[in-house]
Order: sequence, then C-alpha cells, then structure tokens
Amino acid sequence: MFISENRRKTISIALVASVMLFTTASFAKEYIATEVIKNNSNPVFPANKEKGIDGGVVYKVKDNMYTVYAINNQEKKGFKYGRTPTKNEEKAWDVDVMPDGTGLPEGKGSVEQGDELYEEKCSMCHGEFGSGGKGSRSTYPTLSIGEASTDSLTNQRINPDVDGPKRVIGTYWPQASTLFWYIKTAMPFPHPKSLNNDEVYALVAYLLSVNDITIDGQELDDEYVLDRAKFLKIKMPNEDGFIPKIDGPKGAENIKKFLGNPKNYGNGTRCMKNCIDGEPNVVRIKKEIHKYEPPVSVVRDLPKEITSSKEVHPGQKIYETSCAVCHATDAMGAPNVGNKEAWAKKLEKGIDKVYENGIKGINAMPPKGGTSLSDEDFKKAVDYMIDNSK
Amino acid sequence: MNKMSKASQELDPISDMSIAQSSRRDFFRKAVVYSASAVAATSVLSPVKLNATDDPAIVEEAPWGVKLGEPITKNYYGMPSPYEHNNIRRGTPILASGDIYASITMCPIHEQEGIITPNGLFFNRCHGGVAEVDPNEYRLMIHGLVEKPLVLTLDELKRYPSESRIHFIECPANGGPEWRGPQFNKIQFTKGMMSQAEWTGVSLKVLLADVGVKPEAKWMLAEGSDNSEMGRTVPIEKVFDDAMVVWAQNGEALRPEQGYPVRLLLPGWEGNLQIKWLKRLEFSKEPFYAKEETAKYTVLTPSGKAIQHFYPLEVNSIITSPCPEKPWTDLKKGDLVEIQGLAWSGQGTIKAVDISFDGGKNWVEASLKGLVLPKAWTRFSYMYRYEGKPLLLSSRAVDDSGHIQPTIDQEIEAVGIEAVYHRNAICTWEVTKKGEVNNVHIRKS
Ligand code: HEC
Ligand code: HEC
Repeated sequence: MFISENRRKTISIALVASVMLFTTASFAKEYIATEVIKNNSNPVFPANKEKGIDGGVVYKVKDNMYTVYAINNQEKKGFKYGRTPTKNEEKAWDVDVMPDGTGLPEGKGSVEQGDELYEEKCSMCHGEFGSGGKGSRSTYPTLSIGEASTDSLTNQRINPDVDGPKRVIGTYWPQASTLFWYIKTAMPFPHPKSLNNDEVYALVAYLLSVNDITIDGQELDDEYVLDRAKFLKIKMPNEDGFIPKIDGPKGAENIKKFLGNPKNYGNGTRCMKNCIDGEPNVVRIKKEIHKYEPPVSVVRDLPKEITSSKEVHPGQKIYETSCAVCHATDAMGAPNVGNKEAWAKKLEKGIDKVYENGIKGINAMPPKGGTSLSDEDFKKAVDYMIDNSK
Repeated sequence: MNKMSKASQELDPISDMSIAQSSRRDFFRKAVVYSASAVAATSVLSPVKLNATDDPAIVEEAPWGVKLGEPITKNYYGMPSPYEHNNIRRGTPILASGDIYASITMCPIHEQEGIITPNGLFFNRCHGGVAEVDPNEYRLMIHGLVEKPLVLTLDELKRYPSESRIHFIECPANGGPEWRGPQFNKIQFTKGMMSQAEWTGVSLKVLLADVGVKPEAKWMLAEGSDNSEMGRTVPIEKVFDDAMVVWAQNGEALRPEQGYPVRLLLPGWEGNLQIKWLKRLEFSKEPFYAKEETAKYTVLTPSGKAIQHFYPLEVNSIITSPCPEKPWTDLKKGDLVEIQGLAWSGQGTIKAVDISFDGGKNWVEASLKGLVLPKAWTRFSYMYRYEGKPLLLSSRAVDDSGHIQPTIDQEIEAVGIEAVYHRNAICTWEVTKKGEVNNVHIRKS
C-alpha cells in the first residue's frame, strides 16, 4: 500500500506535479526532474587522473594554484628553527615496539605475576580473565574469549541466532609487539605509563596465556616466565589475517593496488532510471535506541535555570578519574555513590576510620584505590562520594 | 507586560542624525527609558489597536528593543545565543569503547549551515580523555630515518610558513552501527561522527625539507602525547602529498578536543589517523603495527581476512534537510521546499549528487552549491514541490576519482556486515504522509 502509493508518486514526481503546480512553462523547467543527466557538474579541476596510494586523485600545483587554493610558490627551505634532540630525549620518547623487536626492552615476568597484577590493576574494567564488559557503562574491551579461535572471523551475523566474529588478542591481533607497546604506554587506563618493563612482560604473559597462545610449542602455565628472547618467538594465530600485505619493499605498492580497486570495498553504479527490479525493500528500525545524551531537542527557547549554582565539588574530578571505575555501581561490592544505606553503614565507625580504611585498603578496595594520590586528595574524593550519598 | 505599542511615524531613522531632529530623539529616548519602569510613559506614542490578524511580534514593541542590551564587556569570548542551547554535540553510552573518556560525541549536522563546523560543535572522539596540554611545555620531535632529527617548540613550529585548507574529518565508524540494519532515528547519531573546518598549519613537505627524510624511509609513525599515546603509521606517499601539521581551526587555536596545540592533518583520511596532541613523527622502513591499526580500525570481511591500512573515507552523502530532527511536518501540499545535504569524498572532489524520491529506483541530478573543494564537504540542493505524499528520499554522490556511492547491497557484497568501519552506502529517509522523517534501509527484495 505504501509502496504502490510511492510508485505512483515516482511516476508523477516532477512531470505531473510541475505541470499542475507551476504556472509558467519556463519557471517549471527549472524544477522538472530532467531525464538527461545535466552537464553542469564537470570536475572543478581539469581531470588529473593520477591516483595516489589511497585510490584517490592526486592534485598537483599548477600556476601557483593548488586546486582552488592560491599558494606562495617561493622556495621554502633553509629554516633554522629548533634544535637536535639529545640521545636521552629520543630514548625517553621512542618507546614504540615493532614486530621485529625494535624497541622491545629487556625484562621478564611470569604468568603468575601477571595474574596478580591483572587482578589488582586491570580486572575491574576488563573482567575476570579478560572477559570484558565491566564498569559503570559495561563497555570496556574484552581481552579474551574462552574457546574462541580465528575460525570465528568468517562469522557474519546475518540473523540473530548467528554468533559474531570474535575479535580479541588471541584471535585477531597480528603482532604481540602491539600488546607490549600498548600496555606500556596506554594502560592501566586511569594511570598509563605507570608500569615498569617487568610488569608489562608479566601482564603480556598473562594475557597471552588466557588467550591460549603458545610460544615455541610451549603452553604458558603459571610458572612460565616471559622475557625478550621468548617474546621474539611469538607468532600470533592471526598474523596472516590482514590484507593487503604491508610489510617489505612492496608494502605501499600492495596498498595502492588494493585501494585503487573499489571492487575491494564496494562501488556503486550511476543508474538513473528503473534501477531496481520490482519494488524497493524497505527495512525499518526494529527497536529504536533512545539513549541520547543529552536528550535530543531542536527547540529554540531559553535553557532552564541551572537549578543551583552549586560549585563543582573539589573531589569530583578525582572521583571520576580514579574511583568511579569501582564506585559508580555496586557490582564489585564497593559502596556505590548515591547508596545512602551503604555509606551510612560505613560512617557508623566514624569518618576517620573510613578515610583510614580507604587509604590502607580493605578487602577488594586497594590502598587508595590503587592510586598514588596524596592523603588530602584521596579524602576529597571520599568526601565527594559521601556528599553525594546523603 | 511592559510591551509598548509601536508608532513608527514617530520614529526617526537612527542614521538620520540631523541636529534639528536630535532633541526630539532625545525626548523619545527618555520616554522609552521611563516606560520601562513608569506605567504612563506610553502616552507619547499613539497605540495601535491589535486586530486578530496582527502579529504581536510585529505590532507590539519587542522587549529587547525597549531596554539596553548586554554591555559589550559581558563576553570577552563570544557565546551563542542562549536560545541555541539545543545545538550541541551529543553522545550515547552504547557507542563507547570504554567510558566517557574513551568515547565520542557527535556533531549536530541537522543544524549545520554551510560547510564550516563551529569549533564548539566539532565532533569529539578520544581514547583517553581530552588532554589538556600546556603550550609552553609543548614539543614536537621529528626523528628516525632522517638526516637531521629535530625538536621544535610551539612558537618555533608556528614560524614555518602556513597554509589554510578546508577539509572534513570523519571517524571511519560514522554510520558503523548500521551494518546490520537501521538503528538510530536521528541524523546526529547516524552520520554525526564528522565535521569540517578550515585548518591552518604547515605542509609536512615544507617542514621536512630541512630534516631530510632518508630514501629508505617508507613509513612515518605519528604519535600523540595524550593518555592513550595514540599512534598510527602513515605511508610516506601521503606525507609528501597533502599532509599537514596544523595548529589552528577556523581562525583560532585548535580546540583541546581537536588536539590543542598541534595535530596531524591527513586530508580525506580516517579521523583516527589524524593524530591529536601530536608529539612525535618517527620515520622507518617498516610499518609500526599500532593498536589502532590492528585491533581496531581494520575492516573484517566475510573471508575472515581484514582490510588494514584502509586510509580514505570513500565517497558519501546524506540529506540533512529534511531529516528525522528536521522533518517536513509544517509543510503544506504545494509548498516549494529545498532538499539539501552534504556530500564528501576522501578520494577526491565531489562531482555530482543524485537524488531519488522512490528509494533508488529513479534518480535525478541535484545541483552542487557553494564551494566545491577537494576532500571537503560539498553542499547539494534540489528544489522540490511538496505533495504531501510518502517518499523514500535518498542521495548518491559521485567523485572525480570515479568512485560512486554504493547501495547497501553493493557494499555488503564487497565487505559483509562485520566491517564496523568505512560504511558509505546510500542513506534513505522515509518521509511519511504527515511529513515525519525516519531512517530506513533499502535492500534488494
Ligand atoms: C578504568 C578502566 C581500565 C583499566 C583499569 C584498564 N583498562 Fe585497558 N582499556 C580500557 C579502555 C577504555 C580501553 C579502550 C581504549 C580505547 O578506546 O582506545 C582499554 C583497552 C585495553 C586493551 C586493548 C583492547 C583492544 O582490543 O583494543 C588492552 C590490551 C588493555 N586495555 C589492557 C589493560 C591492562 C593490561 C590493564 C591493567 C594494567 C588495563 N587494561 C587496565 C580501560 C581500562
Ligand atoms: C578496584 C576497585 C576500587 C577502586 C578503583 C576504588 N575503590 Fe574504594 N572500595 C572498593 C571496594 C570493593 C570497597 C569495599 C571494600 C569492603 O568493604 O569490602 C571499597 C571501599 C571504599 C571505602 C570504604 C572504606 C571502609 O571504611 O570500608 C572508601 C572510603 C573508598 N573505597 C574510597 C575510594 C576512593 C576515594 C577511591 C578513588 C581514589 C576508591 N575508593 C577507588 C573498590 C575500589
């Protein structure tokens, strides 16, 4: 019913409508859907079809113009700004680790040590054994999936009961160097660059072990100690899972060839008439997602008065960066913010004791929440939680 | 209220500053000022009697016209009208790669006018929070396979000759939630992971001329100084084509969300490659294999192989008016209305945009309007006589590199539905009889 109405409309769309609605023919012409493709869309620049590595057009400077931009074409060379970095400065910043081991430091750590570190510094977000989905928003990345293998990568969720591909370290990552480099520079998320090399080796060993990776045919049991020499023997199961090949002298050429062929990623056709056999199949949203933050509105009015000019609590920022991970919900057994009863109970023993427990750590609460905050800042964060749980 | 009726014949144009009239104006001004507090002050003006068809917005004095406005000293950095408070970036918890520090807020492209996104509305994706960099402590290091490694302060960097270019930046996950079907009924959430600015900085070609990149160098690692130490590998071809190191956005310093004080600009390429809070450029013979070019930002195809180093955002378009947030519910049959939208390609310049009213069965060519720039948002426009009938409104862009926006089926045939990134299939709005607009997908029957 909708479709047939729609088709009728199509036929009438410009021609009938314009005849009916426009009074003068010359006016109408402008709005008629012309069947012939208009020719007003020549490329703005003389066709220069040199293709770049990305399969796109490479534009050249011509007559002091770069496409439509005028440029100063005087020679721009011979600047003396800046200075040479010292060896130490380069060393301080050059911490990336490459697949061939460039940049991989000496050091060692066992799976067991990694397990302990992981429990203390990572599991509150990445879950037990890397199972993921922890935290107030449950969207922290999954680092391992039990039995998953590279076989799952051909899965396509074409209907709801099909499992998706499993993209975790053991099934997807092509290189272990990435894992070392990334943990060393970017994790743990709230305090990156706080782990020493031995700790990173231990964490890498642990994560490889929960991903069922073997090194030189050896399983990574608790006692397994990973060091630089063993690290260089790691071969990730999905090393060959990526196209085009980017290594070696042909890398760029391979990319250019791949991206130069739009069939590799989908290209359209410029059909203008009767492009679909039968009627278009209209798929509508099944279950609309309404989680918009802030809510969507296009109204132009004055904003509601900000209810109170309450100043930002001095502990809020600290709480958000260092404590919210565990204290935003009660999932981990932490007294969560807003939970009056839980905090009232804690406070029965007096605020000083609460501070002390937090600073020294208690049960699953690591000392100072695993941070190196000053006592003063830590207390501000505690105050923030208490003030927001009254 | 204190609204006064207008008696326009009493008013002199302000520009007419003849001495003879000035005293009368003084008198009038006083009357206005008094009227704000005194009740009888309207007496100097002859009130117009309000008829039912008269618009009070015209016939009555506007409240802002009968009192002083804000002093010019109020905002030393200007702010939008408070009435515009709904024109903002928005996010959703379900699109985070972690929490509010590893997530995205999207650009309200339904409110976008022209092709330049105001700096405060530029979409914001980060992987470890928005870093707050002290420009005085800022350093850029260029090293690796180069003749003369270099460290620059921000002031030194800005001494290099600058160029300004207008380019979009788009997250390759823009539209990514839609691979398995339409999800969000808002354009801000289906296509808002992109924005456009005029960027100012130095061309990498110029910056590297004195550094001397060695011939064996094939790759450049660009690395950020933020929490995530975001790193990506860039091929040398791009470095010496149109890559830039930029420090300004729409005429002012980069916003922190865009990498203040310095970011990499790789026109037309994945937003994630355009490293923010840039600290280091290292040249090498082999690629680096950073987290965001292996674990993420790779396109898994049904063969089980994933496309890596998928740099450009392919040709794309979206109708922004109408859209779910800006429907046609106020239109009456016979109204002439402009359909318009944005088209862009990371592989070239937009050459043409076609529009379909029947879900892609038949197409007509729209007009491009405004600036038509390489690797930039380009506006398209089509005048339409509204009939009050349901429509399936689609747009399809073509660029000068020969790429044509695919249908959903054409794209899925090539890369399947688990790609996550680089979705550029044709978008369709269903316009209902009432003029409401919904996000739908058109598939083969
Ligand atoms: C506060 C929560 C949090 C903690 C604690 C944390 N992470 Fe993460 N981790 C994240 C987030 C968020 C990301 C994704 C960041 C992004 O968007 O790039 C991530 C990403 C990762 C990834 C990459 C995952 C992928 O597939 O891309 C690894 C590996 C990782 N973390 C390891 C660790 C280790 C090891 C620790 C402990 C030393 C740790 N994390 C502690 C939040 C956390
Ligand atoms: C790794 C998760 C984690 C982090 C991070 C964390 N907490 Fe806790 N916290 C807990 C848990 C679990 C408890 C409950 C301990 C119990 O009573 O068994 C707790 C309890 C507490 C208590 C109550 C102590 C008492 O008297 O029993 C305070 C105070 C507290 N945390 C403060 C903080 C502050 C401040 C931060 C941030 C600087 C923080 N926590 C970070 C997990 C955490």
